[in-house]
This record gives sequence, structure tokens and C-alpha cells, in this order.
Amino acid sequence: MLKLYTISSTISFKNARKTLFSNSFNTIITLLIILFISVACFNTFEWLIFKANWKVVISNLPLYAFGSFPANEQWRPATWIISLLSLSIFTLWGPEWKWLRKNLLIVWVGTIPLGLYLLYGGLGLSPIMSRQWGGLTLTILLTVCSSLLSLPIGIVLALCRQSSLPMVQKLSSIFIDVMRAIPLIAVLFFGQLLIPLFLPVEIEIDRVWRAIFAFTLFVSAYIAEDIRGGLQSIPNTQIEAANSLGLNQYQIIQYILIPQALRIALPALTNQSIGLFQNTSLMAILGLVELLGIGRSILANPEFIGQYIEVYVWLACVYWIVCTIMAVLARHLEQRMTINQANF
Amino acid sequence: MKINQKLFLQFGISIIFFGLIGILINNLTINLIRTGLGFDFSWLLKPASFALAEHPLPYTSSDSYAWALFIGWLNSLKVIVSSLILATFLGTLIGFARTGTNSLLGLISAGYITIIRQTPLLLQLMFWYFVGFLGLKDNMFIQIKNIFNISNKGIELSGLTFSSEFLALLFGLSIFTSAYIAEVIRGGILSVSRGQWEAFRSLGISERKGVIRIILPQALPAIIPGLTSQYLNLAKNSTLAIAVGYSDIYAINDTIINQTGRAIECFIILLISFLLLNLLITNAMEIINRLILKSQRYD
Repeated sequence: MLKLYTISSTISFKNARKTLFSNSFNTIITLLIILFISVACFNTFEWLIFKANWKVVISNLPLYAFGSFPANEQWRPATWIISLLSLSIFTLWGPEWKWLRKNLLIVWVGTIPLGLYLLYGGLGLSPIMSRQWGGLTLTILLTVCSSLLSLPIGIVLALCRQSSLPMVQKLSSIFIDVMRAIPLIAVLFFGQLLIPLFLPVEIEIDRVWRAIFAFTLFVSAYIAEDIRGGLQSIPNTQIEAANSLGLNQYQIIQYILIPQALRIALPALTNQSIGLFQNTSLMAILGLVELLGIGRSILANPEFIGQYIEVYVWLACVYWIVCTIMAVLARHLEQRMTINQANF
Repeated sequence: MKINQKLFLQFGISIIFFGLIGILINNLTINLIRTGLGFDFSWLLKPASFALAEHPLPYTSSDSYAWALFIGWLNSLKVIVSSLILATFLGTLIGFARTGTNSLLGLISAGYITIIRQTPLLLQLMFWYFVGFLGLKDNMFIQIKNIFNISNKGIELSGLTFSSEFLALLFGLSIFTSAYIAEVIRGGILSVSRGQWEAFRSLGISERKGVIRIILPQALPAIIPGLTSQYLNLAKNSTLAIAVGYSDIYAINDTIINQTGRAIECFIILLISFLLLNLLITNAMEIINRLILKSQRYD
């Protein structure tokens, strides 16, 4: 669903007369649009360069990136974000070494323990409470951890919903349908306020992990439905073929069903993870200072009061850039998967 | 698998599942007794003692919690229905602009769609509220005496007033959803084969009439399911009202939890009210779908 619209495919100047000035109505619309674009561009640039006061962004850059992480330890989240960025660049344009390409997935998964280690500390680094995490670092951590956790749970739920055992099938259907019917904020609210009520008094989970847990519950239901779509599009003859080759049920699931279902569901899964990234902003209402939460607390500072437009435009740009990076990476993965399939 | 094996497996799974649920409920009762709250719904009839800025039916702070919740549900319904209409209208316009022959218009709508879809809804809502409405000067922006009046208190249209909270939510939700609806509409239009366009053009039917009478009816069966899921998303997203201070069902539940501490009961009420809203939307769309299919058959 989510595509990056390329300019070259939409406009070809050879056909400009045909497409833009074909009749009087079209000509009027085209001229109006050109007028609108030029006025809008002029005003935007005038505002961007002369009117906007970018001090609220520039002087708070470390806050947007790391939240209230202690200043002398900020190299730790910085290292993590830079390693993620360089890994993305490497994945997209890096050299074609076969051994490295094969292990790229492991490297990607490995960034999560690395990030958690860098943020939590211990083993030589000074420990830091999750209360002090924030900004873009926290947003990315929430996204990455919840999407990684919800993928296996989603696969299991999708398989359960296809199961021949009525009990398993009913339970997973109920879970998926209820999760898809209620708003995300209610699930997050459940995570923040109600999970402690369901646990014994001694056990306490910190807020960040409760949020990750709630996101995982919510997203895994959506992922399960996407993967179920993939499973249903696999023709039954494949399962018959696998059966006649003597594969058992678990081998069929592992080697035949899951790889194909994942490949088919990949575009939908991309949308889920981009949606998840955007939805982490909801935690700003529920008391975590992730990217949007930091924006809100900066706006509450009397020094920067009323500078809503600057902060919101800046935040929108950051969200837009990260979403675009995610979409480009996903498209790359899609292409690679189709190439692998062709070689097969 | 043999039938015995299947039964045994299911029995095992249900024991584990219900055992887990039992442990959780046990924890919950212990915690509720510890906090001295217990589990009952009798508080619903006590006076709510908080004011609501927006109420479609008469409401005072001495009315019961149940009535306050119902008002919140109506408020939710009001903003959902109105943004649903506006989003469909906008989305259809943009979807057609995106597929039309004018490539500049297509480019602009593609830009609109990417910008809207790649920024969080919550950010957009805050933008509309804090920049769009609260940023306006008091009573000065546009004023045509007693007929149309925009200010930071909202819009006044010949006696009808809309609060700025409602309007920010309406604009934010409609614009966000319209970008998704535009893609649904575009998918529907593209699902009609090119031959149909060429056929009505060669028959000399005007562009507008052709689109309305020939293309749209064929695109609708592909559009309706996508539209339904976008409407359900809109209903779920309307709970972000709390960020702009509009008192919808979620915001009122939140207030009540802060006042009474009855988190579990309020959560159950929230779930039920959302199931009701979802049922309402899916049934309405089902009826529309059936009407469309029927009208096509008799045409």
C-alpha cells in the first residue's frame, strides 16, 4: 500500500500538452495549480528562512534524540542510532559479499541486544534507569522491540487460527478479533494501568516494557491476519505434494508454508511496522517521553512557549524521514526476496 | 492425528489456558482487595460531579456517571459520523485527482497522500488544534456578522456553534483518513478495465456522465470493503480526542478512572462501547453494500 511516488513516472514533459492542457477545463485547473504551488512555495520558504525561529529545535537537538539521558553517557544511544543508520546504508548500497549478505539478518536482529545493552548499561557501563530514556531513541526502541516480538507471535496466532483443533482455533480467533476491534490507546492504557493489577505485588515491570508488551499484543493480531492472508493464498496442491514426499506436519509448516506466507505478506508487514512506528507517538499521552512526548515537554518550557509550528514541522520531518527509510529498506527486502525466488 | 490424540491435546491446552486465566484473576482479586476497591458497577448511578464542555443532550455535573458515559458515546458517534462524511468526500476527490489525466493534479495529490500517511495522526491532531485553531486571534480571523465566524473558540455558523476541539478532531481525522480513502478509491478505479473508459468515450458519453454511470458502479464492489475497514480505523482513531481535550468515550472513561480509580470496570465499559460502535459501522456498511448490489442488478 505504501509507495514512494516517483516524480519521473507521473510527469513526462513530452506529453505535457496532452495531459495538462488538453481542454479548457484542464488548462484552468493546471494554471490554478501552478499559481497555488508558487504561492505556497514562496510562503513556505519565506517562513522557513525568515520568520521561523529555529532556536527551539537547534538548541534542543540532544533532547529530541536521547531525551533526558545523562549528558556524559549520550554517546551510548548515539552509537546505537548511528550503527542502525550505517547498517541501513550498508544493506541498501553495500558491497555484494555473499557470506555477509547471508548473515545480514542476524546482524539486524543483533542490533536489539546491542541497543538494550547500551541503554541499560551494566557489564562495564554505568547502569541507567529506563525512566531516563526518551526522544527518538525510545521511539526506535519501542518500534524495533515490539515488531520483533510480534512477528513470531503473529505467525503462531495465524497458524492457530488455521488449526484443525476447534478449541485452539476459537481461542485465537477471539483474541485476534477483539484486538482488532478495540482502539490502540485502550490496549496501551491496559498495558500501563491494568497489567500491574494482574500481577502479584512483588513483580513489577517497568513502563517501557509494559508499553512494548501492549504494542506486541496489538500488532501481533494485525500481523496474524496478514500472514493468514498469505497462508490462504498458498495452493492446497503444495501441501499434498509435501505430504506425498513424506514431510511431517511441522516440516510442512517450517519449510513450505511459513517462507511463502511471509513473502506474500511482506508488503502488508511493512505497513504494519511503519504504522507501529507512527503509533508509538501515542505513548506521549500515556506518559512516556518519546519523540512526540519530548516535543510536548519542550513546548511546555516557558522559554519556547507558543512555538508550536516550528516544533511540529520539525517532528513531522523526523517521522517522515524515518518512515521513508523504513519503506525503502522494505522495498529492498522485497526485491531481494523475488530475486532469490527466481534463482531457486 | 487420531481423534483421541486431538481431544487430549485440546484438553491439555484448555487446562493450561484456563489455569493461566485463573492465576491472573486471582492476582486481580488480591490486588483489588488490597486497594479496597472490589469489583462492582453500582458507582455508575452516583453523580459524576464533573462538567462536560460538549453535550448533545442535556447534562449537568449532578447527573450520574452512566449518563456522562452515554454523552461521551454520543460525542464519539457525532465526531465519527461527521468526519466519516468529510473524509469520504475529500478522499474521493483526491482519489479521482490521483487517477485523472491531469498529471500535475496527480502529482499534488500523491504528495498530499505521502505527507499525510507518513506522519503520525496524533501529531497532525495537535497541529490542527494548537496551530490551526488555538493559534487564531480572538474573533478576528474571518468575520461576517452573525453568519459565519471563525475564532479560537471554534466556528459559529448562523447560530450553530462548533467548538475548536471538535473541529480540530474533525479536520485531523478527516484529512488523515482521506489519504487512505483516496488510495482505496484509486485501487477501485484502477480495477475497472481500460476498455470500459475507451468504450464510453467512443460512444460519445461525456466524461462526467461516464464516470458516474459507468466507471463508479463497477468500481464500487472493490471499494466498499476497503472503505469499511477505513471507517473502522477512523472510529478507533477517534479515541485520540483526548489529546485535544474533546470529551469522547475514551476521555470520559479516563476522567472517571482518575476520579474513582475503577480501572477494570471502565476498561470493560470501553470495550463494550467500542464493540457497539464497530457493529453499528459494519452493519451500516453491509446495508449500503446490499443496496448497491441490488441497484446494480435492476439497472
